[in-house]
Formats: sequence, C-alpha cells, structure tokens
Amino acid sequence: MSYRIVTNNPSVRDSYKNVIFIDGTYEDVLVKVRDLVHSGVELIDSPLGASIRMLLSPYRSILVGTERQAMNADQILLIEQSILNYRTLTQRRNSEPQHANDYAVVDKALLEASIQAYEDMKCPTHSKFTGGEFLETRA
Amino acid sequence: MKLELRKIQIKDVVFGDKMEVNGGVLTINKDQVVAKLMEDHRVKEIKIDLAKPGEKTRIIPVKDCIEPRVKIEGEGKGFPGVTGKMVPLGDGKVNVLDGAAVVTIGDIVGFQEGVVDMWGEGAKWTPFSKTFNIVVDIIPVEGLEPHVHEETVRLAGLKAAEVIGEAGRYAEPTNVEVFEMGNHAEESAKYPNLPKVLYVEMLISQGLLHDGYIYGVNSQKILPTLIHPNEELDGAVISGNCVAACDKITTYQHQNNSAILDLYAEHGKTINFLGVILTPELTTLEGKFRTCDYTAKLCTMMGADGVIVSEEGYGNPDSDLLMICKRLEKAGVKTVLITDECSGWDGMSQPLADTTKEAVAVVSAGNVSHVVTLEPADKVIGSAKAISTLAGGWDGSLSEDGSIKCELNAVIGATSEIGYHNCTVKLY
Repeated sequence: MSYRIVTNNPSVRDSYKNVIFIDGTYEDVLVKVRDLVHSGVELIDSPLGASIRMLLSPYRSILVGTERQAMNADQILLIEQSILNYRTLTQRRNSEPQHANDYAVVDKALLEASIQAYEDMKCPTHSKFTGGEFLETRA
Repeated sequence: MKLELRKIQIKDVVFGDKMEVNGGVLTINKDQVVAKLMEDHRVKEIKIDLAKPGEKTRIIPVKDCIEPRVKIEGEGKGFPGVTGKMVPLGDGKVNVLDGAAVVTIGDIVGFQEGVVDMWGEGAKWTPFSKTFNIVVDIIPVEGLEPHVHEETVRLAGLKAAEVIGEAGRYAEPTNVEVFEMGNHAEESAKYPNLPKVLYVEMLISQGLLHDGYIYGVNSQKILPTLIHPNEELDGAVISGNCVAACDKITTYQHQNNSAILDLYAEHGKTINFLGVILTPELTTLEGKFRTCDYTAKLCTMMGADGVIVSEEGYGNPDSDLLMICKRLEKAGVKTVLITDECSGWDGMSQPLADTTKEAVAVVSAGNVSHVVTLEPADKVIGSAKAISTLAGGWDGSLSEDGSIKCELNAVIGATSEIGYHNCTVKLY
C-alpha cells in the first residue's frame, strides 16, 4: 500500500484500512497532514477541495505517502498556505450538522476518485501488450 | 470551420399548446417537455415553472443553466456524445433562443445553495437574472446513488434545452453572428505579424458533483486537449459541476464563453487566436504536474506568444492555475490569468490558495467572500431546505424581516472566472 488516508470522515474510516483517523475537525486534518509533510511524508492530494462548498464540509480526507523522505519545501508551503486560506474562508461560517451525512458521502466519493487517479498513474499492473499489437495482429 | 449563431431575441416566455417563437415570445408546450424527460426511467416527476426578469422570484438550488438551441443546418443534434449521436461540432447554422435559459434545480445533496434571484440586490450579481428562465425541477425515483442522480439531472437539463430549442427552428433571427477560422497555417499566413494567442480553459475534474464533460467524455480521464473554439460555442463542453455556485462554469456559459467570444472579436485585428486548450483540474499533485506540464507543452508546441488561462472553482485548482503560469512564463510565453478571490468579508486576506512570482498579469472576477443581502422573495421555485441552508450559513445571516445575508459564493455565476457575469474590474 503506497498511500494512507488522513481523514476525520467516519465513513472513510469504516471503509478503508490504511487510515489515520482524526477525531476532530477539517482543520485538525489539515494540521495532521502538515505535521506529516514537515516530517518528510509525501503529500499526494492537494490539501483543499476544488469548490467552496466542499471547503465548508465538516469532513476532509487527504491522501499522503507511507514513508518519510526528504522534506519537500514546496509541499510544506502548500499545506501551510492551505491552512491559512481555510481559516479565512471559514472564520464566520456556521456549522451545518443537518448536512453532515451528505458532506461525508461527497467527501468519500471525491476520495475514491482521487485514489483511482493515483492508482491509474502508478500503473501497478501493466498489460503485456504495449499498445496496438492485439488489434494489429487481428487485422 | 464556420459556425453561424442565429440569435432569436426572446422577449417573453409563456406556456401554451405549441412549441414556437412568435414575435419574440417563446411558447412552451409543458407536456411535451415533461413527456420527453419522463422517458428516462430514473425520473419520477418533472415540474416546470417560469421565472422572468424583475419578478420577485428566487430559484434555488440551481444545478445548471443551458441555452436552448436548434441546429438547422449541419451536423449535431442536441449535445453530441451526451444526448445525441456523436458527430464533430463547430460547423453549420444554429438557431439560438437568445435571452432564454433552461435552469435545472433539485437537491442531489442537502447542502447545496446556488441561488438565482430575478429581482433586487440578488439579481445584480447573477447573469441569469436577465434571462427568461424555464426552470426544470427534476425529482428522481427513490434510492438512486448520488452519481446516478447527478447524471439524471444533468441529462434531463440538456434534453429539456434540446426540446425547447426546437421552438426556434423556423423563427427568423434578429442578428446573426458568424464564427469562422481556417487552420493554423492559413490564419498565420493571413496575420503573420499578429501575436499568436491560445486560451486555456481549466475544468474541475475531481469526481461526484465536480466534473466537466467534453463530447460526453469525463475530463477527469483526459490529458489536456486542443479544441476549436467553434466546438465549444456549439455545445461540446458540458457542466457536471454542481457545488461551486459562484464560479462553476454552467453549460450556458460554455456555450457563450466570454473569453472565447472576446478572443474571437480580436482575431485578425490585434491577435491571431489559435484555439482553446481544455485542461482538467485534478486532485493529486502528480496529476496536477502532469496536466500543467502537458498544457504548457501544447502551448509551446503551437507556438503561442501569449496565453489566457481561466480557472474553474477555488481552492486546489489555484495551484494548477499558477503552475501553468509558471511554466509558460519560464518558456517566454506571456500569460494572463483569470480567477476569483477568496479574500474575506473585508477583502483584505490573501486571495488565492497558492502563489507564484510569475503571476504578474491576473484578472480578478470578484471576491467570493463578498457579503450580499437578499430580500425575501414572493415566490420560491425549488427547495425550502436549500433556503434554510442559505439562511443559516453565516453568523447573523437571517434578519427579522426575512432577508438573508450570504456570501457571493452562494450566487450562481457571481464570480465567473471566464468573465460571463456582471462584475467588472479596475486596472491597478
């Protein structure tokens, strides 16, 4: 397993094995990720979501690496900046407990897409065909 | 490629027995639209209502806006690859119901906002307060997975726009806009001294409620791709993004992409417009590197002197925007960015989630955190639940007289990063 999930989303915790579960807020997840990145763990996902609504979600799941490597200054800058931006965005926001389940569902769906994208890129099982051969031999 | 957008100006919309445009009045046969949309077994019920500019009507939560059109000459019925057979777009004659919009609503998840007010303060901020809106409320059968629900709503909206677009088939246009461009060799021979400019349009491509489609292909799965501007103006790009109300690019805005229209207007005068690159905004950093490297490579391969990059959404796509900028500027390509800001209620905080020193020409489409007050509506089309989400979103957001204080990020198209909206910018 080449990634771990830092999450405070209980449905992600219950669905995956490689989870660092944070019993806390979205910001607590960011802070945990920051600590890991400072210790040399790779940041796989961008820390923030892509839509304002999901930045207001109580739940967040972020992919990180499994091993400590050399510190990456760009990634440190990115996670630190993300925390500052997160605070700006949410400083006057009220919580929405009535929508917690929906946020959990979307957070998990976005995580699944992210894991898929990550695994696609790693291509763990290459086909024996390097492309085109199968079709060409049939033709 | 030559595309004629034949604009039929719509001055009013009414329900009736026919589907036609007469003297600028669009008549819609509601039963016909409902029957078409009910063909999808995932749809339980369709409600259709009208909202006109100036009425004290609030529409919420808006999923997408689509311009109703019909192709009267050339290939491409509806939205090829999505609601119609796959054919290349960008050629032919299209009758456009200019001033009308199909607006889809429905709760896919409970926390969605996405408000369009047809009057007052709210109307100032959304471009869809000026259109005659045919609001389609799509209620699905029970038990649909969110992905399926989203697809059902998306397709229903596109089909509704297609059926209603038919009303304009025999109407005479009030004006005709022609978009014609030869291949790069021809255009560059015609305009050897004009700077070659590409437009990079970024699309949120991240999963449930956060997707964009090109000829029906989910942009999550593509490398950045080159597309003729006519194809986008002809309906090749579809929104499947439902949660970034203020800065998602609705299908209507793709069909009328302001950045493309402005670049086209300057083509042959001040620039040689080379085309559009559609770039997915992915979530993983590796994915971002791949798409940004690839985007910059396409731009340099095409020999662009200048590039305009527009973002969709806010947050992690800021990184893509700036990484593309960095790569292009380092390659000697002048780059202008269009984005929006999240700079707090007072507008004083750092606007983007990322930064780079190469970003020296940046157009802001507005501050998503800007606070607006929406008066109580006489009529609400949509969901009371969404209203309560809107009303409870922020400290002190619901006042005694029923008006709602909210951030611009709840208002559809308020800070459009392709410039299809009502805000303007000051030059500093």
